[in-house]
Amino acid sequence: MRNLFFILFTVASLFANAQQNPTVAPAQTRSVLIMNATAHIGDGTVIENAAIGFRNGKLDMVADARTIRLAPNAYDETIDASGKQVYPGFIATNSTLGLHELDAIRPANDVAETGAYKPGIRSAIAYNTDSEIIPTVRLNGVLMGQITPRGGVISGTSCVMQFDAWNWEDALIKADDGVHLNWPGVFHKHNDKGKVNVEKVKTYDQQLREIHTFFNEARAYCAVKEPALRELRFEGLRGVFSGEQKLYVHADDAKSIQEALNFKASQNVKHMVIVGGYDAHLVADQLKANQVAVLLRRLHELPMYAEDDVDLPYKLPMLLHKAGVEFALQNEGDMERMGARNLPFYAGTAVAYGLPYEEAVRSLTQSPAKILGIDSICGTLEVGKDATLFISTGDALDMRTNALTHAFIQGRSIVLRSKQTELYEKYKQKYDGQKK
Amino acid sequence: MRIFSVWLALLSVLIAQAQPTFPYNGILPKDVTSVAFTHATIFADYQTRLEDATLLIEKGKVTAVGSSIAIPSNAVVIDCRGKYIYPSFIDLHSDYGLADAAPAKGSEGGPRMRGGSGSESPKGAFGWNDAINADYTAALNFTCKEDVAKEMRGAGFGAVLTHKMDGIVRGSGALVTLGSQPNQCLLNPMASAHYSFNKGTSTTGYPSSLMGCIALLRQSYYDAQWYANGGKTEERNLSLDAMNTLALRPSFFDAGDKWNLLRADKVGDEFGVQYIIKTNGTEYQRLNDVAATKASLIVPMTFPDAYDVSDPYVTRLISLDEMKHWEMAPSNCAMLSANKIPFAITGHGLSERAQFWKNLRKAVKRGLSEQEALKALTYTPALWIGANGELGSLNEGLWANFFIASDNIFNESAILHENWVQGEQFVIDAAKSIDLVGNYELKLPNHIYELKVKEVEGKTKGSIQHVKAGKNDDGAAKMDTLNYNVSISLVNELLTIGFDASDEFYSGMIRLAGDIATDRSSWSGRGQDAAGNWMEWSAVMKAKEDKKEAGAKKENGEKGKESDGKEVVGDVIYPFTAYGSKEKPKAETVWIKNATLWTCEADGKIENGQLLIHQGKIVAIGKTVDASKFPGARVIDAQGKHVTPGIIDEHSHIALASVNEGEQACSAEVEEARVVWPEDIDIYRQLSGGVTCAQLLHGSANPIGGQSALVKLHWGGNAEDMLVDNAPGFIKFALGENVKQSNWYNDGSRFPQTRMGVEQLYYDHFIRAREYGAANIAALQEIGKSRNTRQNSSLPNVHSPRVDLEMKTLWEILNKNRFVTCHSYVQSEINMLMHVADSMGFTLNTFTHILEGYKVADKMKAHGAGASSFSDWWAYKYEVKDAIPQNGALLHEQGITVAFNSDDAEMARRLNQEAAKAVKYGGVKEEEALKFVTLNPAKLLHIDQRTGSLASGKDADVVIWTDHPLSIYAKAEKTFVDGICYFDAERDIEMRKSMNTERARLIQKMLNAKGAGEPVRTPGFKDKKHFHCDTLDQTSQGVSFK
Repeated sequence: MRNLFFILFTVASLFANAQQNPTVAPAQTRSVLIMNATAHIGDGTVIENAAIGFRNGKLDMVADARTIRLAPNAYDETIDASGKQVYPGFIATNSTLGLHELDAIRPANDVAETGAYKPGIRSAIAYNTDSEIIPTVRLNGVLMGQITPRGGVISGTSCVMQFDAWNWEDALIKADDGVHLNWPGVFHKHNDKGKVNVEKVKTYDQQLREIHTFFNEARAYCAVKEPALRELRFEGLRGVFSGEQKLYVHADDAKSIQEALNFKASQNVKHMVIVGGYDAHLVADQLKANQVAVLLRRLHELPMYAEDDVDLPYKLPMLLHKAGVEFALQNEGDMERMGARNLPFYAGTAVAYGLPYEEAVRSLTQSPAKILGIDSICGTLEVGKDATLFISTGDALDMRTNALTHAFIQGRSIVLRSKQTELYEKYKQKYDGQKK
Repeated sequence: MRIFSVWLALLSVLIAQAQPTFPYNGILPKDVTSVAFTHATIFADYQTRLEDATLLIEKGKVTAVGSSIAIPSNAVVIDCRGKYIYPSFIDLHSDYGLADAAPAKGSEGGPRMRGGSGSESPKGAFGWNDAINADYTAALNFTCKEDVAKEMRGAGFGAVLTHKMDGIVRGSGALVTLGSQPNQCLLNPMASAHYSFNKGTSTTGYPSSLMGCIALLRQSYYDAQWYANGGKTEERNLSLDAMNTLALRPSFFDAGDKWNLLRADKVGDEFGVQYIIKTNGTEYQRLNDVAATKASLIVPMTFPDAYDVSDPYVTRLISLDEMKHWEMAPSNCAMLSANKIPFAITGHGLSERAQFWKNLRKAVKRGLSEQEALKALTYTPALWIGANGELGSLNEGLWANFFIASDNIFNESAILHENWVQGEQFVIDAAKSIDLVGNYELKLPNHIYELKVKEVEGKTKGSIQHVKAGKNDDGAAKMDTLNYNVSISLVNELLTIGFDASDEFYSGMIRLAGDIATDRSSWSGRGQDAAGNWMEWSAVMKAKEDKKEAGAKKENGEKGKESDGKEVVGDVIYPFTAYGSKEKPKAETVWIKNATLWTCEADGKIENGQLLIHQGKIVAIGKTVDASKFPGARVIDAQGKHVTPGIIDEHSHIALASVNEGEQACSAEVEEARVVWPEDIDIYRQLSGGVTCAQLLHGSANPIGGQSALVKLHWGGNAEDMLVDNAPGFIKFALGENVKQSNWYNDGSRFPQTRMGVEQLYYDHFIRAREYGAANIAALQEIGKSRNTRQNSSLPNVHSPRVDLEMKTLWEILNKNRFVTCHSYVQSEINMLMHVADSMGFTLNTFTHILEGYKVADKMKAHGAGASSFSDWWAYKYEVKDAIPQNGALLHEQGITVAFNSDDAEMARRLNQEAAKAVKYGGVKEEEALKFVTLNPAKLLHIDQRTGSLASGKDADVVIWTDHPLSIYAKAEKTFVDGICYFDAERDIEMRKSMNTERARLIQKMLNAKGAGEPVRTPGFKDKKHFHCDTLDQTSQGVSFK
């Protein structure tokens, strides 16, 4: 490990000053061939001894190394990855990376705009490519993310970013992929001096009616292609009605999910995705029938109810997989930005609790790509797709073995360093110096 | 002579008694007669039942009771044939007649203490804290409150102990009756002392937590001792004066739940006080613990309503313990009684008398004997308040406090007619002086009808069935059966009867008025038919229906509802929450074979090894062990599995009832050990992640926080079971943004607001502690001795030092008897605190969080501090912007004892995997990384001699993992704490099933209760105007209790 870091540090020094984010990698000019790795394709399959080639940012070969013949100079550069693992770049969905830096520091916060109905709010323009957190996330294999605004009833419109860019325009993989609607909670439990009661949320009916009204009016408005008077709030839903954008409904309990599905039908929403979905396994049939996928809430959390299986959050992926519901992992919650680097381990936990390994890989690659509508560009190791992938010396879903040697975004070899590795080196040098 | 009914007539006579010292406007009435209640079933006391007996009262007192009492000639005689007379009930937990809790003294000007010095006196020569209302005297604030008294008398009560339910020390209570004249009612103006853990309306900022309340109460006791022993020469303090006066009275503690009951008793033990403890009815959940306190209890009759469980999704919000408590709460008294735990019953919390009777009878149905119930409402409370010479029975010389009922008061149909308080009559539900029920021949001039008279819901109703002979159209004879409803009313023993006839004899309204014969067997009088003709009538009783038989029938009918007569009630589980079990698991003898043993000792990793556990200890470990001495050992084949020491979480906040006492910059006096909460489901969840031991820390709201609790996760045990015996004392310190309130969006005002102020605060407190210790230590030991031998309290009559719990704790740090775990982030403050410690002569034991520790590892090494860090947290506030996941590795490389902790209930159950991050980010060797969550925290907590590694002689805190313990794929399969297997993956599956079964049973029972018309708590609908409401029940939400 130490040697590896030292080498990397030397290389990185060419690009980066100490404690600055590493520089953005230039466009791929030299073609690359990765040989003999175990390749996790992302679609549920795996190729042992793979040969993976890419040039000009796109994969042009994904094959079993034993079945191919190559001209000696077919690729400019060959990486021998024997005994190593290759994965498509992991995708962090429902993420706020780049929208905030230090939780407690208000000036750094661009996560939630004020107001209730604001579909026109776009996360893309606030995305900070220079966030010091992003390089730390890349180091564990998370190379792309759906950047999502929060708050209010309709929080705004998300976008999909790759994590090595000079500015937000460069970073965009897909602008404005969908609108986010926070479904109101129906019940809440409160404890009044030891007297516990379960109550319907007072404003629930009112909120629900408002949502319907807003959508009804917006739909009527959007029926006119070029209205004389423009209403920006309603414009924000145009893509949802036309089917170009998804409607992400944030909901956890079974009743809310069922209501959201009814809403899908009554409002004729073409593409809906549930975000959260603690109870999704209880209404799996309806989700499947409506072709609604789930961005599953953080796995590493406590069960909601004391009586729940102690490992329920851990095995939700297995339950959804068995029920045939499409899902991807995400990690909304406390410290979610810095915690995004633990997403691979969520997938590892899912494996420990019954999800097949390649399905766990899929839940961070092909599955989110499909849900976000970027699967024609990325999400799997397939010829023609972006060469966004990484090499790990061991199983990337286990913190014990997750160790990246290379990572590529759109074929560009990104620098595997961060402010944190810089600080580590700095103080290591201090103590090494004391030893001498 | 016809026996004259005097029920109403007496009322005016007795009320008119004048107060001897009061001037009287009119001819002075005098109480010159006595009253004899004859032929009643009388409970002279809770265990003496007299049949056909007489109670004789005069001037508000009982003059005689018995079967052969000579009735004096001046006696008004009341025939109580068929009636029951009981001594009135006594309620020891009441705030009857006191003005509504006024804002506490010194409340003007808003909250004072937030950051204030705390030295100002609120209103005069009283103590500093508004929650200590020792000087409050209920008697001075008492007036009769007829509306409240009326409801209580209806519930059978005749006297109450009233006190102000506000504050931690609540002053004195008054024993009063529920009569109408304050001067008569006030029996004992200084009857009792009252305490609680609830600061109530106090506006003093401190305390802000349960543990702060406990500490304040303890400090107040110490202050009172100091005051009595000479402190009063230094300051005059009326609150402390009053504390000492209160100490002479019986002490009552309004505790709340079962855990607070135990906590209160522990405080009492410290000061030689045995509190009488008011509970909330959950004691049945910890009977053994409650019995061990030897405390007397005051238990409520408040039972929760069922929940509306008609929606299966919504029902998930109702927890198992809430469901079980609904079912079991009525059994509480029966269970206390069966366990010989002394208790009195209070009606507090119930606003309607009907609810009280309903619940009391329910408690009796659940197995509380009628005698025990009476005892808990009469004899016991009288005894405890020292008033059994005045109240609680109907023996000669006692107050004439009794009530008259239609039947045994525990029968559902019994009606409380009158409640007499000190000889003053109060009519509750007037007895019908004459029982009209029966079958009569009603003789009118034209015909004799068969009249049946019944009591339906307390109302007299008559009916006549008349068979009318007639002819069909074809001339054939036919019989028509007619039913007449007959109205019967009895006013002042005069009858009015009416019915609408339509037969061959009469047609139209018949109206009769009449009188009842002395022997009550016949009625007679005059009336009019529909045509207005006057007539003579009479009615003669044919047969008196046996009342008892009718009652028995009704009972049978009720029982029919429940299958097989006896109601099925579930078991108490330990702990009383999800994943509790009926039987607590016991320490086992276990022989683990074929395992990969991660010893965390010099032996390192033993492949294919064996481990033997016996009586809570590891007795052997190695490639092979000699298990011949333990033939009964359970053999566990751990082929392919890994065994490690139990995970120890150096920084945890689970299983606590309160975490922060943050009102003052120093809260060294508060103790987490006093607020351990053993029913936190996170205990079980963490066992499922291999955690066996944790330091439960105070929060980080202030530079000097509170004392830690070191626990092992004995799931199902009580707090004492969980606390590690002879554990070294720890205290939490904190630095940085939290203590200087940096992330409060309004400006804080409490000192300190900068890191500079934090340093000064430490110096100030440690210098004070040093001076405190120097001045007092010898004398303190003296006091300690005298406290242990209270009886020969030959305290020297010198000015004793004041026990200051805060300074005492800091003095322990200086004396190296207490270790510091300090929440810390940035290097400057870490260095600062090490300088403070060095100059004060102690060593900082552990820096916790310590995210910039890697910057000053060399200095920490030189000082001798350990580190307990997060694996990879950062960027959540400014002071952690330089945190790195290699921190643990760098500190470790510098030779510092490093632990990874959770500070998070979820992460704690994956600490083994957090340890793996030291391998990933910092290249730490795997065996060393595992020590970050086992041996190293044990070392930091000074318990490594007994736990933290797998070695012969150590506590059997052991985890069997399905996989490499640092791997994401590892799951704890079995977790042993002191040799007790608290988590077992297989048993866990069984528990889920049985829990589900139990819930299903309770849900069915609740649905039945709802079906039977019992009130249910529903997922409430405070606004019910919109759609979707129709899908759910609309019954009113909430409960009728106050």
